[in-house]
Amino acid sequence: MLPIDAAAHSSRWRRRHPVDKAVLGLGLTVLAISLPPWPGAALVLLTAVAVLLGPAGVPGRRLWRAYRVPLGFCVTGAATLLVQVGGPDGFVTLAGDGPVRAGELLLRTSAASLGVLLFAFTTPMSDLLPRLVKAGVPAPVVDVALVTYRMSFLLLDSMRRIREAQAARLGHTTRAASWRSLAGLGATAFVRAFDRATRLQAGLAGRGYDGTLRVLVPEARISVRFTAASAALLATLAALTLVLERPLT
Amino acid sequence: MHIAEGFLPPAHAVAWGVASAPFVVHGARSLTREVREHPESTLLLGASGAFTFVLSALKLPSVTGSCSHPTGTGLGAILFRPPVMAVLGTITLLFQALLLAHGGLTTLGANVFSMAIVGPWAGYGIYRLLRRFDVPLMVAVFFAAFVADLSTYCVTSVQLALAFPDPSSGFLGALGKFASIFAVTQIPLAVSEGLLTVLVMRLLVQSSQGELTRLGVLFAKKAASTEAVAR
Repeated sequence: MLPIDAAAHSSRWRRRHPVDKAVLGLGLTVLAISLPPWPGAALVLLTAVAVLLGPAGVPGRRLWRAYRVPLGFCVTGAATLLVQVGGPDGFVTLAGDGPVRAGELLLRTSAASLGVLLFAFTTPMSDLLPRLVKAGVPAPVVDVALVTYRMSFLLLDSMRRIREAQAARLGHTTRAASWRSLAGLGATAFVRAFDRATRLQAGLAGRGYDGTLRVLVPEARISVRFTAASAALLATLAALTLVLERPLT
Repeated sequence: MHIAEGFLPPAHAVAWGVASAPFVVHGARSLTREVREHPESTLLLGASGAFTFVLSALKLPSVTGSCSHPTGTGLGAILFRPPVMAVLGTITLLFQALLLAHGGLTTLGANVFSMAIVGPWAGYGIYRLLRRFDVPLMVAVFFAAFVADLSTYCVTSVQLALAFPDPSSGFLGALGKFASIFAVTQIPLAVSEGLLTVLVMRLLVQSSQGELTRLGVLFAKKAASTEAVAR
């Protein structure tokens, strides 16, 4: 299982309805990209970190491990805003407002990423996917997504074992060997995925499969109190940004 | 190559979502029709999605000594066709955003447009064109993967340039800036992905002729087996 999904399964908010967590997590993300980066995104960032480490109970180390991935992309992307192309001073020069634009972008992307991480760290995919049918996603598409989700872990596990076996057979000692091993890995993933699908199909056919995958979804109700509190928090953040924007700019 | 969460302004995020929607809806309708007519396809399509997800997790050696991961869009388009790839790509990108923190939900539309729509269609178009002129299968596969990878990055450059025009030279300056940064890293990576896809396809032709025939990659059985035996 992947670390974020594993953390979601043991999360304090595991039993909460996905809509509750979507209002808060994705609401923070929407605020982060909609409000002025300073002070809006900064406030969202602080709030998201506080909720993640506090009420949601996400361990700090796990959060950092997940967060540093988008952070790396954000830093790389923001760095390009530091320079400008053309102009009277030369072909490539430092942009006058580059540091401000890069800083604002970094704030916005960091805050938005934390909002999504809040949702991902508290909502297992197995709780979310079956409920997408109620949101209007066609049932066959959700079924395919469910099979994809469940088969991905098995395939990733197979790939890890194959990679270890290849390494034990000196399959990564030279560049040529690495390429051969990599190609073998990709082809084996394809063969195993289809072989597993065929065997699953045979097993399901024996159990009267009619084209619908029925899975048990843990029962949960949308909490009016939690959703209202989340909406109030989001409204407060938006109001605070508008109040503080002028004095802090 | 995924555009990170929150990177695009809200108007751009919505616009790319709207641009992607018809392709994804068309793909979802094709997939729904296929599953209703052949219920057993659910598992094969799910397996295809898992394969696409896992393929993007492979570490690809780069000429610079670092490593990256293949987009998998070229191989996916050859195996499963672009309309299905639009749906499988969207599912994969959603999983990557929520399970790996790669990409994002607000940038899902933009990432779907570059990786699940333009990449597969460009790769598949080149593949069909070359096969029509009887170019050998492996050459066509190489160019399909190369073009799919590169076109994905070209579209990403356009998306970023539109969102962040250069203060001095505007959209064109920003496009040059983003495209030149990507070109340094992505042309070698596109070549690497092309070579890897050829190696994978060679192994598949040897080991999975039945599946490739069922997927329509190897058309006439006689021609397919002749080609496979020759290799």
